[in-house]
Amino acid sequence: MSYSMQKKVIIVSFLALPIALLLLFLLYPTAKLLQLSFTDWNGISRTFEYVGLDNYADAFRMPELWKSLYNNWLYFLIHALFIPLEIMVAVFLNAKLRANPFFRSIVFLPYVINGVAVAYVFSYLYNPINGPINLFLQSIGLESWIQRWLSDPGVVNYSLIAVSLWRFCGLHVILFLAGLQAIPQDLYEASKIDGAGPMRQLWYITIPGMSLVIEIVLFLNVRGALQVFDIPFLITQGGPGNASSTFTLFTVDTAFKFNNYGLASTMAILLMIMIIVFSYIQKKLFQATGGGRS
Amino acid sequence: MTMGWKAKPFYYLLFALITVIVLIPMALVVFAAFKPTAELSASSPLALPKSLYFGNLEAAFVKGNILTGFRNTAVLIAVSVGANMVLGTMTAYILNRFDFRFRKLIFAMFTVAMIVPYYTTEVARFQIIKGLGLYDTLMAPILIYAGTDLLQIFIFLQFMEKISVQLDESAMMDGASYFRIFRSITFPLMLPAAATLAIIKVVEIMNDMYIPFLYMPDKDLHTLSTALMTFVGERATFWNELSAAILIVMLPAVLIYLFFQRYVFAGLMDGAVKG
Repeated sequence: MSYSMQKKVIIVSFLALPIALLLLFLLYPTAKLLQLSFTDWNGISRTFEYVGLDNYADAFRMPELWKSLYNNWLYFLIHALFIPLEIMVAVFLNAKLRANPFFRSIVFLPYVINGVAVAYVFSYLYNPINGPINLFLQSIGLESWIQRWLSDPGVVNYSLIAVSLWRFCGLHVILFLAGLQAIPQDLYEASKIDGAGPMRQLWYITIPGMSLVIEIVLFLNVRGALQVFDIPFLITQGGPGNASSTFTLFTVDTAFKFNNYGLASTMAILLMIMIIVFSYIQKKLFQATGGGRS
Repeated sequence: MTMGWKAKPFYYLLFALITVIVLIPMALVVFAAFKPTAELSASSPLALPKSLYFGNLEAAFVKGNILTGFRNTAVLIAVSVGANMVLGTMTAYILNRFDFRFRKLIFAMFTVAMIVPYYTTEVARFQIIKGLGLYDTLMAPILIYAGTDLLQIFIFLQFMEKISVQLDESAMMDGASYFRIFRSITFPLMLPAAATLAIIKVVEIMNDMYIPFLYMPDKDLHTLSTALMTFVGERATFWNELSAAILIVMLPAVLIYLFFQRYVFAGLMDGAVKG
């Protein structure tokens, strides 16, 4: 076979399966969601009616949806507030210290552990009867700090966000560390000769040098916060009531619990639009404040 | 970077605190896993077990269906990670070595797939899996996991850049076909990159919960994650047995991580810097 003929054959045969999987399990379902978002399909019957923009209008009028979205916002905000601390931990881990390989393993460990196991570990810690956290608070004389961690609507979201922080901060630290290690060392040496202290180095070399990784973490945070699902799904099922529901949890329930596939599809499409829009806005803000200086 | 003497105590304090926060929740579960029921309710959860009691671990294995979970998780990992690596390297090989009309379109499709949300897509994917007759079979998660994604393709492409085209050319002089070149030259040279990505994928699949939960409700098809979920549903208040099950489910990923962390970090760092 000639090489030009071979080229055609190998391109088609090597790409057939990866592209088929991509189309069948990611792109076609997304197109299908868009179509279903304009229908009243219940997931069972063979037929459905097109209802125009009704689902979209309904979605905006649902208080549960806004409540869930507010919870997503809390996850986003608190995770974002931890970013400076994560960068600081990464800067320390980048120093040449003997204990650092050990601390690096520790920091990343939570991210590797099975998410279901993590969720139940914290269910145990938060347990209201004989739960380790409340017993610990009692033993050190802080009875007033004792909470119903998972059943008080005013507390439950923060309890769950703590689990999310425990699980994901380590990933962010390691990504920041990767960014730090990509900064050429001679920049630091040159600035030292010019008399720059550690704070000036941090501000003028480290942060700009990491701007790409910071952007990635910000994107992961938007995408992650908008899609929080497994932690509330496993620990509280969104309860008490819908106090700890999230947008994704509410969408999944709308489809698989309440059989309203049309409305759930609409919410899935809205979620995708939010991911695109918020990532874009955040990227622009980050660049405008000088994050993209390098 | 070196650290001034003022920063040192702060450094040790900070990392001591992080170590405690990371390890204490797991330690408390280990304590509970080795206490019999009477001791669990009588003693403080912060207290070490008086002796090592293995009844909970036994209960977790016998009632918790955990061996089935191990078997199914192992099958899912072996088949889908293998397929995923072959498909990923094949895609990168074509995209790096050949120029053709739909190359840009293919990149665009993988980019769109990046922003498709994880869980909500199941609303439509569920019908496709059912329509294909894959519901309640191991093939459903296998096909979903096997597909390659943009991040993997980027890391493979970056790696391919370093494999000289001259190797391909000299093989072509000897009359080797493109398939032969891929199989005997490119693929073996990509194995270091594949090893890193494979370990990350293994941990991802081992820890995934929703896809096996949604597509494989049959008890015989439970994975580590879904077996644990079912066990918790059945034994809700027996925290010692549940802790034992949690411990068993946590352990494999932790061990893999501790043995292979060099590769995990190498892969993450490549991905982050080029991303």
